[in-house]
Amino acid sequence: MSAEQRTTTHPILVQEQHVPGRDVEEKFGVARSWGFDGLELRGQGDYALEARLPELRRAYANGVLMPTVCVEMSHFVGAFDRDLAEDAVRQMTSQLTVMAELGGVGAMTPASYGMFSRRLPPFEPPRSPEDDTAQLVDAFGRLAEHAASVGTRILLEPLNRYEDHMVNTIAQGVALCREVGNDAFRLAPDTYHMNIEEADPARSLADAVEYVAHVQASDSNRLEPGAGHVDWALEMSTLRSSGYVGPVAVESRLSGPAEVVLPRVPSLLRRHLA
Amino acid sequence: MSTALAPASATSEAARAAAGILQDNWGGAYTVPATGLYPHQWSWDSAFIAVGLRHLSARRAQVELDSLLSGQWSDGRLPQIVYDTRRDDDYAPSATFWRSADLPGSPAVPTTGLVQPPVHAWAAWLVHSQDPDESARRRFLERAYPRLVAWHRYLEDRRASDDGLVAVVHPWESGTDNSPLWDEVLAGVPDEPRAAMHRPDLKHASEGERPSGKEYGKYFWLAERYRDHACDDADPGHPFVVDDPTTNALWARSELALGDIAEVLGLDGAPHRSRAARIAEALEGLWDPDLEIYVALDRRSGDQVRKATVGGLLPLLAPGILPPGRSDALLRTALGPRFLDVASTSRPLMAPSYDATAPDMDPELYWRGPAWFNMMWLLLEGLRAHGLDDLADRYVEPMARVASREGFPEYVDPWTGAGHGTRAFSWTAALVLDLVAGREGRP
Repeated sequence: MSAEQRTTTHPILVQEQHVPGRDVEEKFGVARSWGFDGLELRGQGDYALEARLPELRRAYANGVLMPTVCVEMSHFVGAFDRDLAEDAVRQMTSQLTVMAELGGVGAMTPASYGMFSRRLPPFEPPRSPEDDTAQLVDAFGRLAEHAASVGTRILLEPLNRYEDHMVNTIAQGVALCREVGNDAFRLAPDTYHMNIEEADPARSLADAVEYVAHVQASDSNRLEPGAGHVDWALEMSTLRSSGYVGPVAVESRLSGPAEVVLPRVPSLLRRHLA
Repeated sequence: MSTALAPASATSEAARAAAGILQDNWGGAYTVPATGLYPHQWSWDSAFIAVGLRHLSARRAQVELDSLLSGQWSDGRLPQIVYDTRRDDDYAPSATFWRSADLPGSPAVPTTGLVQPPVHAWAAWLVHSQDPDESARRRFLERAYPRLVAWHRYLEDRRASDDGLVAVVHPWESGTDNSPLWDEVLAGVPDEPRAAMHRPDLKHASEGERPSGKEYGKYFWLAERYRDHACDDADPGHPFVVDDPTTNALWARSELALGDIAEVLGLDGAPHRSRAARIAEALEGLWDPDLEIYVALDRRSGDQVRKATVGGLLPLLAPGILPPGRSDALLRTALGPRFLDVASTSRPLMAPSYDATAPDMDPELYWRGPAWFNMMWLLLEGLRAHGLDDLADRYVEPMARVASREGFPEYVDPWTGAGHGTRAFSWTAALVLDLVAGREGRP
């Protein structure tokens, strides 16, 4: 497979915080030397991604592939606190604008993270499921409209039941996509969360493939692919055979030094995507 | 009661120990043949390992083959070794020697350019059969079949000549590295490779149990030559081009398995069975009527290499497609003094890899006499294919005992069972597990 093909089909990305370098261009060089096709950016709050635009524009002009951003904030669009939820919508709106300028696939966010779990005390959240859904449909509806207007997508990452109480499975994500009814709202399933939530992760991916615009790869123990027991042969070959051509980004903790453990990952994923 | 239980408990103890070895040698996506001597994924090892692994986990056995098949080249070849680059200084020749990424059509992982005997389709069929539901859920055959077909097409298009048989271009490709079958052909191969030789294998096994330095020199020279001709199978001056009975018999057996796989997938199995029959017909070119066994053929000289090796018995695996009389003759040889010697009081525990009556037979030296568990497993399958289940069953318990007592060695003295080579060897464990499970599964 040539480098050119790799950048057009199933680019394998690594999140930028794992790669040494003073800026994204240096990080991109290192990531390429480790066998990755590009980077996944991290989007902090207070418009931090927007503040990086000069650096990102320069990198984009110099050929750096960074088609996705993963939000890194303490509050999200599904927050119980309306002010925090609105701030999250504003932050994601800004991130979408940046990603559109970088020719990106999209910006991703969970509904919430670490705010509430129905599996942990006190078990009952302060907001009803109907109100949860209404808030998410409204927030993702507005974000999708903005994403469509600038030419990118807002991506929802379902998290496992211990990290979020609203959208845990791919099927729940698909239901929300249907309710929002905007092609600029799509899913970014993560293999780690799927290994907890899905009875058959590969089948779930195949069933939902028209709603999947991005995939995050992390093993069963949340370490880099290959360090746990996710069925990579099945899940990656299913993505390929289902017609998925989007990116696969490594979002995980690491089982050892990045420069030792990460270079093994691209070939592991790519050999089953080929 | 105790006498009836004694053998069963010995075999179950062996099966328990075998399972432990397969757990220890599992690396997350495949099983290393042995943690010290062989730190990467080997092609035919993985196939034999999957056959045993299926009794522990059908899914893990499928993943074993998935991993190997995902190291396939675009020309269809399944490489002899898929390298773990973390261990690249532990085995020679290394990934750095092959530089596969520089060659067109190479896979995403570093591999050798050479291949090994095509036992994979049959192994895939056995793995599938162990748990058809899990296989269907993982779409295992759907994924494996096109790759296996491409692998066999590589053999047919790139390695078969007008004689209809597949040639190996290196002794390593036969899996039986220093078999006496290669001596004459190797005599004409230079023994001084251009690059300095590095022998990490001698850290893990004694020199007397490994191929000699001179043999290794020839192996490296041939590997360099093949690599430096871009692994393209188009080098007219390549000095080692030999029709190997093991490779061709397993090719035929695996074509039959491809027929079974095709039918499970709703495809036509007949073309695979016709191809298997054509291979069986072509095998006639290797038949030695005096030795009553299939031998090797030096394709450059056109001469047969008239020596009896255990691989020459393996057409027993395809009984329905051999010419009339061949099975009987092969069984005479298998059960006679060259191999199992069943009528003798000093019969071996396992068939030797090389003719027990040959003057240069060495019961301790790698493929020049010792018994190997994979070859014995294949031979027992051949006996079963001829309805000789009772006879085959009689070997299971002694083999399990020997394997267990000797620490699951790479190979053994056929008569004493004394272990040689590395220990905790994966296919020894896997095939003992399969033999024990198979015997227990029969009424």
